[in-house]
Amino acid sequence: MAALWIHAFEQGLAYGIAALGVFLTYRILRFPDLTVDGSFVTGAAIASILLVRYGFDPFSVLVLAFVAGGIAGLITGLLNTRLGITSLLAGVLTMIMLYSINLRIMGRPNLSLLRVDTATRIIKAVWSPLGVFSVLVFIALLTIAIKFLLDAFLRTELGFALRATGDSEAMITAQGVNIRTMKVLGLVLSNGLVALSGALVAQYSGFADVGMGLGMIVTGLAAVIIGGTLIRSSRVGLMTLSVLVGSLIYRVAVILALRYGYVVGFQASDLKLITALLVILALVVPYLRERRMRKVSAC
Amino acid sequence: MKRLMVVAVLGLLVVGIGIGAVSQPLKIGITKIVEHPALDAVQQGVIDALTAAGYETDVHVEYIISSAQGDLAVASTIAQNFQAQNVDLVVAIATDTAIAAAEVFRGTDTPVIYSAVTDPVQAAKLVPSATDPSGNENITGVSDMIPVAAHLRLLKDLSPDITRIGIVYNAGEANSAILTAMAEAAAPDLGLTIVTATADSTANVPLAAQSLVGRVDAYYVTTDNTVVSAIDSVLAASEEARVPFLMADPTSLAQATLAAGFNYYDLGLTTGDIVIQVLSGTKPNEIPVTYVTGGQVHLNLDAAGRIDFEFPAAIVEQAASLLFGGVVWEQQAE
Repeated sequence: MAALWIHAFEQGLAYGIAALGVFLTYRILRFPDLTVDGSFVTGAAIASILLVRYGFDPFSVLVLAFVAGGIAGLITGLLNTRLGITSLLAGVLTMIMLYSINLRIMGRPNLSLLRVDTATRIIKAVWSPLGVFSVLVFIALLTIAIKFLLDAFLRTELGFALRATGDSEAMITAQGVNIRTMKVLGLVLSNGLVALSGALVAQYSGFADVGMGLGMIVTGLAAVIIGGTLIRSSRVGLMTLSVLVGSLIYRVAVILALRYGYVVGFQASDLKLITALLVILALVVPYLRERRMRKVSAC
Repeated sequence: MKRLMVVAVLGLLVVGIGIGAVSQPLKIGITKIVEHPALDAVQQGVIDALTAAGYETDVHVEYIISSAQGDLAVASTIAQNFQAQNVDLVVAIATDTAIAAAEVFRGTDTPVIYSAVTDPVQAAKLVPSATDPSGNENITGVSDMIPVAAHLRLLKDLSPDITRIGIVYNAGEANSAILTAMAEAAAPDLGLTIVTATADSTANVPLAAQSLVGRVDAYYVTTDNTVVSAIDSVLAASEEARVPFLMADPTSLAQATLAAGFNYYDLGLTTGDIVIQVLSGTKPNEIPVTYVTGGQVHLNLDAAGRIDFEFPAAIVEQAASLLFGGVVWEQQAE
């Protein structure tokens, strides 16, 4: 069972990078961006084809995936700010386009990485003294580094302007900041992170598939909202931490559902139901406790 | 009296647990990408093959069955869960789940038996060679590669007028992309041309099928999960075009003019046979990729009647079964 918890944390953190991207658009910019279902796959596709076909280094492809995802975000941003297409539709359109583009990038719907050296495989070999924790340590270092970089960025003047864009467009325009530029910047960064996560997940799972982004926006939003419900704070560092916690909770719920669901008589087809019920449990328990505390203090 | 019964029940429980502990059942993890009639049939075939060979469920073997419910992220998690539960063997159904399981069980001695993987060598890279199993490590299994060239030849034999073959497929499905590419490669030698229409979701299949009306002399659909889910719309389009429609899966005979190939339940039985071999001590690196043949032809005379199409006598004689008057008539081999 210990190994399973390690895997839950590996995945929670790897998908947590994508959740940080969703956080950036949904929470900071208040822009409902659906591009992520496509840009997640773009990251995986770019990384995989560079590894399989062109023998790139598995760590540098993470950076290139970030760039590719950024371009996807740029397209959504331009569609919205320059061509006046509403935010939801701009994201949907880019996501649809990316489906075909991702197929073009990979040349086929599914690319196997079983015969190449992926980042996780290299880490397993090189950091072998860490044993079963090697991959977790690598993913944790990467994710936490990204979290702190994002925190630092959001504390810069530009970062403040980005946050203010989501809070009050009128006020920030009065300050002389170009909202359109801010939105595009947010979308570029967000989809860059999502694509980086896709590149990491593809190497971790051993394949890229054109369907692997399906529902990414839903799990990303779930992570942001679960985290935001459990850790309520307007401090940047705690907000990004809450996103990672939310992502972890979601993955732990999946693993618990898989591990114990069948023991208590659930069928394979009940997986999503149990996962959602566990997430509800994780949200409701702190809520009820808080309400009881408030009642007690009111007496 | 009551207390006596409690004691008796407890006693029975102890005995029961004792028996269970003596012969610990084998643990087999079955992972599939999504609930789907074909994949469910494979799963049932595996279990039935094992039951028939004396591996009784919950007595000699315990199954942990998991579906990723279409979420590829979960495919890895399922394999990791199998590992944490120390399964004795993994059956991985479909390409994505097979690769995910192969990645998790890499370098271990837990056997991974894949099934319904169209191209386990070139595309999925599960094993290094189709014929030489020595490099397989702990992985072997069954391909669901269908004999595309033979199917095209069958269409050509239906009528000399058939030269343009329309294929409706989802370019996002790994198996489908491979089979369509194979058809395009085989067509020129047979004097055929392939016209394709893609549908990225079940909802778009009717439109894709319609787009081929008037441009093709026959429809052909391979084992494409997306298209199979909306197969009635392909039959409707083919009937509007008054051309025959060949389906590469006999279980869909009622929704096609004719069908050829194997059914997925048989594929599951074949997979089960390999599982039994491995359980009895044969190593996966002694078993090459198994390709299912099953080249039987099945004709839907009702559907052919609706488009006034008459099958050549030679093909009717060969057919394993005929659908006529809403009833399937099996033909006895001579």
